[in-house]
Amino acid sequence: MTDPLLHSEVRASSAVAFAIGYVISVALMVAALVVTMRHALGRIDLVVVTSLLALLTLITQAVFMFRLNLSQSDRWKVVSLVLALPLFVLMLGLTGWMFHTLYLRTMLPGTMGH
Amino acid sequence: MSDVFRIQATPPSPELWAPGRGEANLIDVATFGFWLYMLSDTLVFAALFAAYGVLDHRFNAAGGPTSHEIVHPLAAFWQTLIVLSSAFAYGMAMVGIRARSRLRCVVGLAGSAALGAVFIALENIHLAALVAQGNAPERSGYLSAFFILMAVHNLHLAFGVLWMLVMIVQVSTQGFTTGTVIRLLNLRFYWMFQTSIWVCIFVFVYLRGGA
Repeated sequence: MTDPLLHSEVRASSAVAFAIGYVISVALMVAALVVTMRHALGRIDLVVVTSLLALLTLITQAVFMFRLNLSQSDRWKVVSLVLALPLFVLMLGLTGWMFHTLYLRTMLPGTMGH
Repeated sequence: MSDVFRIQATPPSPELWAPGRGEANLIDVATFGFWLYMLSDTLVFAALFAAYGVLDHRFNAAGGPTSHEIVHPLAAFWQTLIVLSSAFAYGMAMVGIRARSRLRCVVGLAGSAALGAVFIALENIHLAALVAQGNAPERSGYLSAFFILMAVHNLHLAFGVLWMLVMIVQVSTQGFTTGTVIRLLNLRFYWMFQTSIWVCIFVFVYLRGGA
């Protein structure tokens, strides 16, 4: 039995990487909070900006916290994640779009102009 | 004919399940399997987010509160800090594992679990306050979607804390065997996934609702 601590996923743990990931994540979340609390942007702009900040945070997490990379042992994790992403987009996008048009078409009281 | 196939069946570099390469690395297989499970678990959250996004609408509030009235971005931000710090503490436990230090691993796990417990307590206080105001899940479709999303996330965190307590005991008694290292690596995925899920909840539930 080989030493489990020599495995690449254990070796990939780095205090510097975790610290960088932590600082960037906190900074992005502070930015998202400040943008929201100052009420300086319109509703659509705010959704776009905070969504982008969330996306950047998730990428930061993937790179610095999950330590995802294209090495021998991690390649299949990246492949499966990339293949799963369309499922998330379909599930969230189609549901949102479907119900958005449904609300408009049924013209339920109090839903117009929302 | 068979020679042709043999040549093609030999990849240029060893792959995870390349034929004729002997047994696959147990840690690779175990963490990859758990990774696939986490992706399916994330689909559960995607379904809950989709339901929340659809039900976060005046009509589904049924005269009750909408997201604007029950979420507080600043309060949720402190929870965001706690959950990110907890993931960082788990990272420090991983660094301890790499350094073959049981003590640093256990201290990191304990710090991560403690922060996780604080987070769960804060979230439960928030949910209990809503119920006390008469805004229980059965009040409206919107509140049902809100509560189930929060409850499922909270339940994940509770199981994560339980898992950490088990790992503290196992690392203390068994040390870094192949089994414990696999569980520690999988728990890392699990815990950091919950952090990423909370980032989405913070931005799409708390910030969007509080805008």
